Amino acid sequence: MVIKNLMKAVKNIYFGPPVTRMCPEVPTKLADRFRGLQKLDKSKCIGCGICANTCPNNAIKIVKARVSPGSDKKRWFPSIDIGHCLFCGLCIDQCPKDALSNTKVYLTGIIRWQHEDLLFTPDMLAREVDINAEEEAGEEVSRWTPQ
Amino acid sequence: MELPEILFNPLVRGILGLCLMGAIFLGAMAAVWFERKLSADIQQRYGPMRVGPHGVFQLVADAIKLFTKEDIIPKNADRLLFVAAPILLMGSVFLMLVAIPFGAVVINGDTYPIAATEMDISILYIEAMSSISIVGIFMVAYSANNKYSLLGAFRNFARMIGYEVPLGICVVSVAIMAGSLNIVQIAEAQSPLWFVVLQPLGFIVFVIALLADMGRLPFDQNESEEELIAGWITEYTGMRFGLGFFAEYIHLILGSMLIVLLFLGGWNLPEFLTSNLILGIILPTAFFLGKVVLVMLGIIALRWAVPRFRIDQVVDLSWKRLLPLSLLNLGWVIALGLLGV
Amino acid sequence: MLEEKVGPSEMIVHIGPQHPMLPGPFRLNARLRGETVVDSEVEMGWIHKGIEKILENKTYLQGITIVDRICYLAALSNEEAYVGCVEKLAGIEVPERSQYIRVIVEELSRLQSHLLGMGEYASFVGFVSMFMYTIKEREDVLSLLDSITGARITHSFLRFGGVKDDIPPGFRDDVKRVFPNVRKAIDSYEDMYSTDSIYRARTVGVGVLTADVAKDLGVSGPPLRATGVPFDIRKDEPYLVYEDLDFKVCTETAGDVYARIQVRLDEMRESMYIIEQCLDQMPEGPLFAEDTPYGKRSPVMRIPAGEVYHRVEDPRGEMGFYMVSDGSDKPYRVKIRGPVYPTLQTLPPLLKGVKVADIVAIAGSMDTCTSEVDR
Repeated sequence: MVIKNLMKAVKNIYFGPPVTRMCPEVPTKLADRFRGLQKLDKSKCIGCGICANTCPNNAIKIVKARVSPGSDKKRWFPSIDIGHCLFCGLCIDQCPKDALSNTKVYLTGIIRWQHEDLLFTPDMLAREVDINAEEEAGEEVSRWTPQ
Repeated sequence: MELPEILFNPLVRGILGLCLMGAIFLGAMAAVWFERKLSADIQQRYGPMRVGPHGVFQLVADAIKLFTKEDIIPKNADRLLFVAAPILLMGSVFLMLVAIPFGAVVINGDTYPIAATEMDISILYIEAMSSISIVGIFMVAYSANNKYSLLGAFRNFARMIGYEVPLGICVVSVAIMAGSLNIVQIAEAQSPLWFVVLQPLGFIVFVIALLADMGRLPFDQNESEEELIAGWITEYTGMRFGLGFFAEYIHLILGSMLIVLLFLGGWNLPEFLTSNLILGIILPTAFFLGKVVLVMLGIIALRWAVPRFRIDQVVDLSWKRLLPLSLLNLGWVIALGLLGV
Repeated sequence: MLEEKVGPSEMIVHIGPQHPMLPGPFRLNARLRGETVVDSEVEMGWIHKGIEKILENKTYLQGITIVDRICYLAALSNEEAYVGCVEKLAGIEVPERSQYIRVIVEELSRLQSHLLGMGEYASFVGFVSMFMYTIKEREDVLSLLDSITGARITHSFLRFGGVKDDIPPGFRDDVKRVFPNVRKAIDSYEDMYSTDSIYRARTVGVGVLTADVAKDLGVSGPPLRATGVPFDIRKDEPYLVYEDLDFKVCTETAGDVYARIQVRLDEMRESMYIIEQCLDQMPEGPLFAEDTPYGKRSPVMRIPAGEVYHRVEDPRGEMGFYMVSDGSDKPYRVKIRGPVYPTLQTLPPLLKGVKVADIVAIAGSMDTCTSEVDR
C-alpha cells in the first residue's frame, strides 16, 4: 500500500548512503578502455594519413611539425580538432604503426576557454607541450584541483 | 499576569509584528531547505552542499536571485488580478498566522500560550482564513491568460470544494470533544490523553483532508509538472513567484502546527517536568516544535514516496469516501460524549 | 486541421515541443472539453538530423559511428542492424565467439534502456523517487558496458565480421557482483508497482490497446506483446546465436499501461538470464574469421552491388535497415525503419475520452525515443 512505499522512503534516509559523487572534487572511476584524448608517438608516425581519411568528422589534418624538441627537421604529423572529434577511436584502431594510443584524459586536459585553442597541434598530442592534465600511477588522468 | 503598558503602543506592536513576519519567512526558508535535504536523502544523493556548510544558505542565494529577475507581465493578462493575486495568497497565510500559538511558557503552574491573539472562535477563524487561498490561486491562474494555468485553476476548485467539508466536520468533532472552539483550550484539554487515541478515524481523515487543502502530493494536481508545465504559477517570474512559493511553505508549517495542536497534544507535558522555572520556560515550546518537525518530516517524505492522483479520482475520494468517514467520526464523538468521556 | 472543428465549450491545447516532461520533442495538439480529450493529433520533426543523407556520404566504416546516434539509448541494436546489412551484402561470416559477444552487449543495452524507460515512466506519474532508484541501478550496467566497449552511450563497438575487442579479464566477476543487485532491485520495483494502490488506480485499465489496432498500425515490441501477440524477432527470424539460447517471449493480455510496464520488467529478467547463458556457453576462438580482408583494420571496403533488408529486435520494437549498394565504398541509399513511429500513431485513437493527466502517462508508457522517429 501507500504506507509500504513511505516506509521504504523513510528507511532510505538513514540506511541509504548517497551514491552520487561530489563532482568535480571526487574523480570518476573510468574503465581501462575508456576513450579519451589521443596520444601521439612521434617516433612511430610515418605521416601516411590513414587516420585523417578514417575520421568520420574530418577532424584530423596532417600538418608539418618538428620531429623532436630542439630539432630542425620537420615531418608530417596529425593535428586533431578536439571541438569536432567524436572520441570514437577509429583513428587509433586504423593506425598501421600504432603511433596513436588511448589515454583517459577527458576533463582538464581538453577544456579550453577559447575556440581556437581546441585545435591540438602534434606537439600537444605528443605531450611535448603541457596540456594541463595530471599523471597518476604512471598514467595520465584528468583531475580538477580546487583553485 | 498583566501585560506591561508598553505593549499597547502601536509602534512597538508594529515592530513586533514585523519581527514575527521575518521569523516566519526564516522558518519558511528553513522548511524549504529541510525539504530539499530530505528529498535528497530519500533518493540517495546529496542535495545542496556548496553555499554554506551543507547548503544552509542556499535559500538566501535563491531569494537574491528571485529579487533580481526581470518582472514580466504577459501582454493580454489582466493586470490588476495578476498583480494583486500574490498579495491575497500571502494575506491569507498571515491572517492564519495571527491566531495560531507557537508554544507555551509555564510559570508557576500557569500556562501562557505564545500567540498573537487569543480569540474564542479561533479554530473556525483559522479554517476560514485558509480557504481564502482558493480565491488567490484562482486569481493567479485566471489572470495569466494561459491555457495551462486555466486547467490548473479548474482542478484547484474541484479539489478544494471537495475537501473543505470533511475538514470542517473533523474540526467540529474535535471541538465537541474539547468543549470549546478556542484553540488554546483544545490544546490544553489533551492533558492526560491525546485526541489521536480517542478519535483515530478523525485523525486520518483530517490529515488526508489537510494534505489536499495544502496542495501537497498526492494531491498537487494544480501544479503538476507533467501535464501543465508549472500549473497555476506558469506565468510568474521573480519575486511574485517567490511570494507564491513561500506562501505554500508557510501553509505547510502552519498546517503541521494545526495537526499537532488538534490531535497530537500541543505542548502538554507531565507536571514534574515543568515545575522547574527554566525548564518550564523552554521545554513545552521545544516539545511542541519537535513534534511539528516530525509531522513535517512525514508530510515531506510522503510527497517523494507516492505517485499522484488523477483529478477525477481525487474528487471521488473526497465525496464518496472521506465525507461518510468524517460523519461516522462525528457520530462516534457524540457517542463518546454521551457516555461521559 | 484540428482548429476547424472546435465546438462550443472546447479549447485546443498544444502540449508542445518544449515541455519539461514529454518523452522527446514532439507536439501533441489536443482538443479538450474541460478535462476530457476529444481529439488529438501528433506532429513530429523537431529533431530531424538528416542521418539517412549523411550516411550516403560516409564510408561503411565511418557509418558505424553515425548509426550509433539514431537512438542513443539503444545504440547497439542500431549498429547491429547496419552491420548485419553489410555482412549480408558482402557475404562476410562472423565467428561464434564474436556472435556471443554481440549478444551479450546487445542484451546489456536492452537492460539499461528498459531501466531508464521504466524510471522515466514513473516520473511521469508523479513518482520522482522511483526514477532515481532505477538510475542508480543503471549506473552499474553502464559501467559494465563501459568496461567492454570503452564508452557509456555511443559505443561504436561492432565491426564488419566481428567486434572491436574481446571481453576484458575481470568481466565475469563484475557480472556476478552486479546482477544479484539488479535482480533484487527489479523484484522490489515489481513489488512497489503491484501493491501501490495510487499507482494501480492510475495505470490499470488506462490506454487499452487491442491486438487488432496494434497489428493494423504496425506496432511491434513491448506494446504489441502486452496485447497478447507473441511476436519477437529473436524467435521468429533468429539472427546471431539466438537459436541456441533458451529464453521465453514475455506477453500479457490486458494491453493497458500496467501490462506494458510488466512486460518490460519481465524482459529485463530474461535479458539477464540470456547474458548468463552466453557467458557459460561462449567458445574460445578468434574474433574475426581467418581469411577475411575485413578485419579490425580496413579503411576502404567496396561492397558488391545489391539490396538487402535486415531487422533486429530493438528494445522498442522492430528496427530495420534497407540498404542499396552500387559497388562503391559508400552506400547508395540507406532507409531506416524505426520502431517508434507506429507507436506514436497509436496515440490519437487511444487518447479519445481520457483526462489530461492520462495523456502523458499513456505517451510515456509507449517508451518513445523521439530521436528515432525523426532521424
